[in-house]
Amino acid sequence: MRRPLTIAFTTLIIFLFTLAAYAGVPLDTVQTNVNKVLDVLRDPKLKSESAKEIKKKKLRVIYEQMFDDVELGKRTLARNWNSLTVPQRQEFVILFRQVLEKAYIDKILAYTNEKIVYEREIMISGTQAEIQTKVVMASKEIPITYKVILKNGSWKVYDVVVENVSLVLNYRTQFSDILAKNKPEQLLEILRKKVKGQ
Amino acid sequence: MKYYLVAVTLCVFLAAGCAHKSAVVSDPAPSAAAPPAREIMAAPKAEPSPAPSADVSAAKTVGGSLDDYQDIEEPAKGKEEEKVTIADPLEPFNRAMFNFNDKLYFWVVKPVAQGYSKAVPEKARVSVSNFYSNFSFPIRFVNCLLQANFEGAASELGRFIINTVWGIGGLLDPAASKEIDLKKQPADFGQTLGIYGVGQGFYIHWPVLGPSSPRDTVGTVGDIFLYPSIYFGPWEIWAGSRVIEKVNDSSLHIGDYESLKEAAIDPYVAVRDAYVQYRLKKIKHQGGPPPPGVSGLLEDK
Repeated sequence: MRRPLTIAFTTLIIFLFTLAAYAGVPLDTVQTNVNKVLDVLRDPKLKSESAKEIKKKKLRVIYEQMFDDVELGKRTLARNWNSLTVPQRQEFVILFRQVLEKAYIDKILAYTNEKIVYEREIMISGTQAEIQTKVVMASKEIPITYKVILKNGSWKVYDVVVENVSLVLNYRTQFSDILAKNKPEQLLEILRKKVKGQ
Repeated sequence: MKYYLVAVTLCVFLAAGCAHKSAVVSDPAPSAAAPPAREIMAAPKAEPSPAPSADVSAAKTVGGSLDDYQDIEEPAKGKEEEKVTIADPLEPFNRAMFNFNDKLYFWVVKPVAQGYSKAVPEKARVSVSNFYSNFSFPIRFVNCLLQANFEGAASELGRFIINTVWGIGGLLDPAASKEIDLKKQPADFGQTLGIYGVGQGFYIHWPVLGPSSPRDTVGTVGDIFLYPSIYFGPWEIWAGSRVIEKVNDSSLHIGDYESLKEAAIDPYVAVRDAYVQYRLKKIKHQGGPPPPGVSGLLEDK
């Protein structure tokens, strides 16, 4: 009588473990990266104002592991990507990343221990997934979805959807609006100015 | 009496004013317009190199090999994300109104909301916000019913009863606690129309009220009639209560509009797009599971 029970249990446990492992990789990757970011933000040694630059530097390293810059840039330009020359594309990717840093770094540094809940992972295809999370604050909850893609064996973020508004789509509309009336070079010029801060 | 009327009219104007930046933003869920706002951990960033121009060698610092920069093979690549656009025939007018609302926010709404938030602690402001939210329960309840989202309607009814009785008339939100876990259903009449298959039409940026479309404008007006205080005597009471609600709301969202504007290359387009994305998702995914029979309508627009 004992035997079958043990076997059933073992099977169950093995099954559960494999299931978790199978379902978990994209979510785990996002969670690991977000935790790294939080570690930097919470680091008591980096509390002072002067440590801001150190924090930024550390965050950049995490960003590179977490995000797929080129994929993000491609999807943001969508079909306009092809109308840029290769060097223009490279510059675009760099500039766009700087624009994003400039826009969000202060928000990120202002983090004050809000709770982050990882709700679920949805596989869109074998190489794409969506990780739904939310940030819980005193007055509200903000849903944030990370879209990730599997490239060279690791899952990288290529879009972030906050409150149902996709970052990639939002910039895509803006860029295609600009490119409908201007040449790619002018778009780059606009971005350069934005990065320089005016 | 005359002065009184003028003052009230002004208040209405201001009240709605906060809606301007909120409309996108404040709707049921807070800041849609702040896609960026809370990206907290979403987007740490970039190369320090202020060198704005990139030569080929810079590609390495960006990561990815040169291959990554080749043409996109099927230009349909971006398609898998739905295409979200709206016609904007009134763009010159809309842009002018956008600028007007922008000034209104920075010169009037924000200073008022800031003063208010200094005087009233955040907890109290959250309670006020809960109270108004509880008070506007008929809007969500009726629209859930109209959308044949009975589960949502039941959940709203439950929330209203629980929060009114155990939440001190709606000041607290015990229904959202883990144990009860009744979720607020952000249903509105514009959404209901959308679910019935009414298209957005085109974009309108109303002075004071902010982003909208013909459909959502009808929706907003429709919802006014489900807002209880409109039946509570003179319209000044309704207007006054809306002013307080909006100031309170704005005080909880100071900074959202600024972030959005700061992050945008073209703030007008960014707001328009955020609005369209937000409304579209709300119609496609949030009214609960699409009611049987209506799902066909959801497919195209």
